[in-house]
Amino acid sequence: MPWVQVASSGDVRESGALGVDVEGTPVALFRVDGAVYATHNICTHQFAFLSDGYVEDGCVECPLHQALFDIRTGKAKTAPASTDLRTFAAKEENGAVYVDLTRSAGEEAETPAGEPVAPAAGTGERLVILGAGQAGARAAEAMRQAGHAGPILLIGDEDEAPYERPPLSKELLLGTTTRESIRVLPAERLSSLNVGFCSGCRVTAIDRAARTVSLSYGSSVPYDKLLIATGARARRLPAPGADLPGVHHLRTIADAEALGAALTAAKRVVVIGAGFIGLEIASAARKLGAAVTILERADTPLERLLPPAAGRVLQALAEGQGVAFRFGVQVAAIRSDVVGLRVDCAGDDSVAADVVVVGIGTEANLELARDAGLAVADGIVVDGEGRTSDPAIFAAGDVAHYPTPINGRRCRLESWQHAQEQAIAAGRTMAGQETTYSRTPWFWTDQFDRNIQMIGLPSRDASVLVRGTAGEAGSVLYLLEGGTLSAAIAFDDPQAIRDARARIESGAPVDAASLGAAPLSSTVMSGAPTACAADGASAEEYSTMDHPQPNFRWPEEGLTRIPDWVYTDETIYKREVERIFHGRTWNYVALEAEIPNPGDHVRSNVGPTPVVVSRAEDGSINVFENRCAHRAAEFCRSLRGNAKEFVCPYHQWSYDLKGNLVGVPFRRGVDGKGGMPKDFRAQDHGLTQLTVTTHRGVVFASYASDMEPLADYLGPDILGEFEATFDGRPLKVLGYYRNTLPGNWKLYHENLKDPYHATLLHTFLVSFGLLVAGNRSLMLCDESGRHGVMASAKSDGKNVSQENKKEMRAYQEGMVLEEPRFVDYRPEFDSPWSVTMMTVWPNMIVQREMNTLGIRQIVPTGPNEFIMNWTMFGFEGDDDEMLRHRLRQGNLMGPAGFLGLEDNEAIKYVQDGMKNIPDGRHLVALDPATEAGTSDTLISESAIRAMYRHWRSVMDV
Amino acid sequence: MDSIIDATAGSRQDRLLLRAEIDDFNAAYAAALDDGRLKDWPAFFTDDAFYLITSRENHDAGLPVGLVYCEGAGMLRDRAFAIEKTAMFAPRYLRHIVGTSRLLRGREDGTVEATANYLVLQTLFDRPESTIHQVGTYIDRFRRVDGVLKLQERRCVYDNLLVPNALVYPV
Repeated sequence: MPWVQVASSGDVRESGALGVDVEGTPVALFRVDGAVYATHNICTHQFAFLSDGYVEDGCVECPLHQALFDIRTGKAKTAPASTDLRTFAAKEENGAVYVDLTRSAGEEAETPAGEPVAPAAGTGERLVILGAGQAGARAAEAMRQAGHAGPILLIGDEDEAPYERPPLSKELLLGTTTRESIRVLPAERLSSLNVGFCSGCRVTAIDRAARTVSLSYGSSVPYDKLLIATGARARRLPAPGADLPGVHHLRTIADAEALGAALTAAKRVVVIGAGFIGLEIASAARKLGAAVTILERADTPLERLLPPAAGRVLQALAEGQGVAFRFGVQVAAIRSDVVGLRVDCAGDDSVAADVVVVGIGTEANLELARDAGLAVADGIVVDGEGRTSDPAIFAAGDVAHYPTPINGRRCRLESWQHAQEQAIAAGRTMAGQETTYSRTPWFWTDQFDRNIQMIGLPSRDASVLVRGTAGEAGSVLYLLEGGTLSAAIAFDDPQAIRDARARIESGAPVDAASLGAAPLSSTVMSGAPTACAADGASAEEYSTMDHPQPNFRWPEEGLTRIPDWVYTDETIYKREVERIFHGRTWNYVALEAEIPNPGDHVRSNVGPTPVVVSRAEDGSINVFENRCAHRAAEFCRSLRGNAKEFVCPYHQWSYDLKGNLVGVPFRRGVDGKGGMPKDFRAQDHGLTQLTVTTHRGVVFASYASDMEPLADYLGPDILGEFEATFDGRPLKVLGYYRNTLPGNWKLYHENLKDPYHATLLHTFLVSFGLLVAGNRSLMLCDESGRHGVMASAKSDGKNVSQENKKEMRAYQEGMVLEEPRFVDYRPEFDSPWSVTMMTVWPNMIVQREMNTLGIRQIVPTGPNEFIMNWTMFGFEGDDDEMLRHRLRQGNLMGPAGFLGLEDNEAIKYVQDGMKNIPDGRHLVALDPATEAGTSDTLISESAIRAMYRHWRSVMDV
Repeated sequence: MDSIIDATAGSRQDRLLLRAEIDDFNAAYAAALDDGRLKDWPAFFTDDAFYLITSRENHDAGLPVGLVYCEGAGMLRDRAFAIEKTAMFAPRYLRHIVGTSRLLRGREDGTVEATANYLVLQTLFDRPESTIHQVGTYIDRFRRVDGVLKLQERRCVYDNLLVPNALVYPV
């Protein structure tokens, strides 16, 4: 099967991604170190386009939950993804990029005639690689990709094709991945690259003069250039009993499989060593249900690597999930007794266990280099290109002692990134393409449900600042040395790692204020249930329970936080009715089309207050309270009707069509007795009448007698959008939906000022390809911040059917609508937008979802619930097909709509969340570049902040 | 509406058998929805079926919108598929109680009009009570396809105008 041309070379750039559609399959194209790669464009975790993600270090980070994938292999590197991404063969020819969907990146073409053949063992230097781990394998691949044609030999001492080690202490232990899926390069890939692979083979010596290496078999192999990538071995516990059954060290696949099986059966696990490996194993063991004790010689976890305060954050995280720590413990011996193992500590103490795991670090395999007389420090000393003190010999991965870009420091690093990238640089250099490796060190660990990433070079003596609550998702530890940032550790927050990388690389001075951080307390109590807090973090400031006259204090952070009492408090709700719904606002009450004739009326509401909207004999529209002036009876009970007058059934008080009191039975009593006082004047006892205005057939009412004109109330931008929908064509009511919604009424406004949720909650849109990358959009606010329009454009409106067809393509396998026409947009408005959702403060939403049109009226019934009345409409003059199109498209919205039902459910979830956990606050911090107001990015909450700026000024809170 | 079946519908025995058959049909229909077998639901309809859920307010006023408005079995299958695969909502159980059907009339084209009242009870997992989610009536037209009774049209007209929060599943 054929190569398909999918893009031009220039469109695929380094450190970026291009999403393309190849015969219905969404494909992401990348360029890494000059070569193009193709993967499936949808994250294996949840639905998101990786082409919208972030590319770095040969990996792509999903924009949705920051899962990380290796672009070359598709491997899922970090949680939350656990399934690898599909890759596709990709190539470049004559300025164009080609993809072959039938083959993955690893599979070589079946070399039909005329195609370039896989590199033959042609002429060129003989390159030999010692060590077939991640570094060795990546170097071999890089040599070929850099165009090396000569022989390449990869020698490894395990009987395994090259594999990655990070999963050994995580997924492989838990059984959530398999040994085959952690291969760096499968054996077939090695042969297709024409790399000789010698497994189960140990090298015993390097003869630099003769340029040969001696193998354990007794033979020797010549080399022109040699790469030492022999990695490290697990440090053995130097105590009696370390070799007993049930005592595990972890370095290889075989170790991991044995340990995984042992942990699954174990009830009590003792981990010796509180380093990263120890903590990851403890995390896995807890997940598998075992009781876990970590024994550590030092006083904090990761004592050699991190400042004690930072180590204690990891300790607290582990303790929060039930891990017990014992510090200052020297293991004297491990023995076996009738019930299992016992770990004897120096002193008289001992700990019982079913399984003991030793995680006390590694020792680099430096003997070959040392014996060969190469410069060796803590590791084999190399330059930026991986060259050792012998120009024919290179070193890569765990053994390399390399110059970091940070303050000229040199070190040896055991990390995925280093094994990958530094080895590739060395491999390319050996193949003749001088490539310098100078990445800022980056490292990740998954433990206790946190993805913890570290950037930079930490040191024990750094001072530690914290942003957020240390250890919690979104928190960051900053390590400062000499006023600059040397490292950062972020918990479930990859964005913070990117920011920190820039600061580390710039070397600019930082302080607590510029990082938005505070000093981390160095006296965190061990055994704290979850995590430790920053010094100076304020306690929760407010509780309604203790205050009969609550002092509604807004959080100090300002508009980026919204306290729960905004949504749940009765006092606040009553003040809203008084100051907002009965205050200086225009409230939607009806459409003129509902009451075309004198005497026509509908029941409606202004805020919670029932009103009647009535057309009088003179054609005027009147709005008055549906509450008899006599005894408060809500007299008008039918939803709509036609009447000559309104009569309260209780005592037959009658009112005219404008709400004036006309008749009071027995006003003068009977036989001169009873009746109203003599000074009773009917004109003083009419129904409470509201101010009314109409625009383009839409009726608004206000309790304020001196309201500004509607046009001024809306402001020019909102008015413009209003008039785009109500474009002068006479409206035709198509029917009503009504539903209750167990949430605060403002949450509905927020839902429509929150473009962030559209593709995240409404997977219908993305699953069926209705919302595609590149749709233009805008979140518009008026100057006051109370009104808004969320707008998006489906396409340019030309060739609509063609466009629709293209966009209708299923972006998830198997996701196809049989009748996609119902989501067609038939242009009928003078507007660049195909969808506008307008919020008119305080009670109206105008829905123009393509061709399905409706007004939603909010009727609050308390802080925790409101009623939503939907009036769906079209226009007089719609032909039958257009009418039915609107009706079919109505399946998107309303309380049973594909989108509508999800919004209703989500709002209920929010209110439920507040009900059962009091005194919380919401975080609305997206898009800090726009403090409040109009924003052209969907990933923004600036319109919500604008609404609350207005709300607070009206509410005086 | 005429409540007496007309002469074209056959003998009294035929009418009783037909009514029993429609009752069976409704029981099977309710069971499919109650069991959550959403993908089985479209098969109760003819290919050209019309399916509508609307309020009595709209129905009585002759207003055409529906909470759900499906023209053709394709739209029914799309809804079943979309609700099952893409929609976000709290898990729930539904129980349809369908009353005895009432035959209205047979038509020249072989279709039969009938109605039956229904009650849909909804139970959320975090509340002890089941709530009346919808109470209404089916206004149906049946047609035989290869001898099997199918709905050519089902209008679910509900009395409780205020839908409690959201209507996720078909009625």
